[in-house]
Amino acid sequence: MTVDPTPVSDPATAAIRTHALSKAYGRTLGLDSVDLIVPEGLVFGYLGPNGAGKTTTIRLLMGQLRPSGGSAMVLGLDVASNRERVQAQIGYLPGDFTAYPDLTGLQYLTYLGELRGGVDRAHITGLSERLGLDLTKKVGSLSHGNRQKVGLVQAFMHSPPLLILDEPSSGLDPLVQREFLSMVREARAAGRTVFLSSHILAEVEAVADSVGILRGGRLVIVESVESLREKALRRLELTFERDVPVRALAAVAGVKDIQVDNRSALLVVEGSTAELISVAAPHGVANVRTLEAGLEQIFLSFYGEED
Amino acid sequence: MFRSVFSKQMYDERRRLLMWGLATGLVGSLMMFLWPSMRDMPDLDEFLANYPQAMRDLFNIEAITSVAGFLNAELFSFLLPGLFLIFGITRGAALVAGEEETGKLELVLVTSISRVRFALHKVAALTVSIVSLAVTIFLFVWVSGLVVDAGLPTGELAAGMTSVMFLGLEHGLLAMAVGLLTGSKTWATGVASAVAVGGYVLYAAGKFVDAVEPFQVASPIYHALESGPVGGGFRPIFLLMPLVGIVALVIALPRFDRRDIGV
Repeated sequence: MTVDPTPVSDPATAAIRTHALSKAYGRTLGLDSVDLIVPEGLVFGYLGPNGAGKTTTIRLLMGQLRPSGGSAMVLGLDVASNRERVQAQIGYLPGDFTAYPDLTGLQYLTYLGELRGGVDRAHITGLSERLGLDLTKKVGSLSHGNRQKVGLVQAFMHSPPLLILDEPSSGLDPLVQREFLSMVREARAAGRTVFLSSHILAEVEAVADSVGILRGGRLVIVESVESLREKALRRLELTFERDVPVRALAAVAGVKDIQVDNRSALLVVEGSTAELISVAAPHGVANVRTLEAGLEQIFLSFYGEED
Repeated sequence: MFRSVFSKQMYDERRRLLMWGLATGLVGSLMMFLWPSMRDMPDLDEFLANYPQAMRDLFNIEAITSVAGFLNAELFSFLLPGLFLIFGITRGAALVAGEEETGKLELVLVTSISRVRFALHKVAALTVSIVSLAVTIFLFVWVSGLVVDAGLPTGELAAGMTSVMFLGLEHGLLAMAVGLLTGSKTWATGVASAVAVGGYVLYAAGKFVDAVEPFQVASPIYHALESGPVGGGFRPIFLLMPLVGIVALVIALPRFDRRDIGV
């Protein structure tokens, strides 16, 4: 593989490209031969349950870990041989963000800004105002959610071409979470690439163009969010005024499972639920409750029997 | 506010240095103020003869009738070396390994600053901290000596302070080097403390056991204290102490540049 010494902005180029990227911790494989391509200008959601290897991947991309096999290219540069140059172009939020507790938000952000060669103060205060962060308070006195805001500001403050965010909305209240998602969309609109990891599907669905799903250290699928949504298993609880029309419901295409409890039916459906609703409606539906299509179900829908 | 890792670290150290400097400086002053009453004791020699021989050797009590000997016995044979060792080792371990263990390095190390430059800033901060602590204590003792008219040559006091300062610096740099190698504060503190305790045992044993004496020269405590250290002047052997610390760093830095951070 040839290494281009200059970062490239060609739209056809990948912002992130890994080849058989692996990381062993002692005898266990934290990451197992991951081939991942994230095109520039996209929001990419990196999904997986806790311990699947999301943080390991991210720390390898950041140059904080050395791969035990394979390689990672970020913005056209090999991470291992250009660590500082790669890091300078990334806005990074670690999964376990820890700042100096005795510094105020402003002191901390200015300090990191200085180490990055200077960051516009107005940009720091602008981002902080958007997220409702008080910069005069010491980081140690802030709640978990407010500390996370400090982490977000430092990731965005130098307007990097690539943002790598590990569980970014952890601890954020819904309003701030919405503001954060619009910051991500704005970054994409400005041509930046955003790589965000999460174990919450809804968060990724709301903003990502495509997702990669990681399981047990292996990348099991890379899909556009749309096609993932179509294939996702959803869980629906239908409560009827009369007895549950089990047969009619079971006959609907996409219904994978049905469990009846008194006048309620718990259904597992693949893809759209529109047909199911129209079949159920004439039987007198008293209540419909949609249960979040969790990642686990998506895993099960694709890889139920595999590991 | 802080433009570098060094200035940020010095800002962090400001209160600690003030407290250590004041507390230790005041103890130094107190000893100096005690000197005239010691000097004027009529039966001092008789009093000292009551000490066990081992203590007289280890703390150089025979020389206590001079101001240099008095300071060596009261400050420079145990208290100051001990305090400089504790300060050097705890700060040397905290500055890199301590920050790494608590996750604070994760973001500092992904800025434009390279890992080696980051570590050198920390080395500079540790060195400046230890030197400023030594200067503070020196000033307290020196001024007190002038006040009580102790007749202590400034150069002798400076040589003694340099010796214990280098001892703290050596072990501090060693703790930092182990931290750079392992990322573990426990290892950093443990290895440097073991070297300090081992050095002291070797030094003390060498004074009593003839068979051990030839090995005394390997002890950092021997390098620091054998000359007095007050009264023995500046000895070239003092330079061994920072040199050992620098060698440890030279070994550790390339590994720090390559290894995984915070695992």
